[in-house]
Amino acid sequence: MRDTTGLMLAVAGALAMGYALAALFFTRFWRRTRVALFGWFALAFALLAAQRLALILFEVPPDAFPWSHVVRLAAFLLILTGIALQNRAPRGSR
Amino acid sequence: MDGLMDIGLLVYTLCAITSLACAVLLLRAYRRARQRLLLWSGLCFCGLALNNVLLVVDTRFAPASDLSMVRTLPALVGVSLLLYGFIWDADA
Repeated sequence: MRDTTGLMLAVAGALAMGYALAALFFTRFWRRTRVALFGWFALAFALLAAQRLALILFEVPPDAFPWSHVVRLAAFLLILTGIALQNRAPRGSR
Repeated sequence: MDGLMDIGLLVYTLCAITSLACAVLLLRAYRRARQRLLLWSGLCFCGLALNNVLLVVDTRFAPASDLSMVRTLPALVGVSLLLYGFIWDADA
């Protein structure tokens, strides 16, 4: 069977670039509109990009503590925090 | 070793639950506000949630097989949808 390591690296790299681009787009929207939710999204996607890059760059032994996935979890919690704060904010301040 | 495996599975499961919650909340917010960026973000998180669910399945139920390519594809599709939304359809 063909070795898919190269293809895996390409897909992982594309994903890291996609997350980084999403972080930049959200940063631009946040600067333009000052809607806090976009800032939370920008932070979260920057974390996801860093996490994916770390997975590409560093080989993690299977029995190691899953730090990179803790970072991923933190990114999702940032989004949930942003949504919760957005829902609590008065309409005029969104 | 087993302890670390359990912690790993716990972290992966929490990732799956939180990303699924993000997808549901974003799509519900889209239904209310009709802001297109919420739709694209919600669809992106559907892909990320599927990626995380497959990671749990891979670790818990099929540790001998390597589903890394299969589980990465939904995340790639999800983020591609979000970028499509940014470039062609964003209204922020």
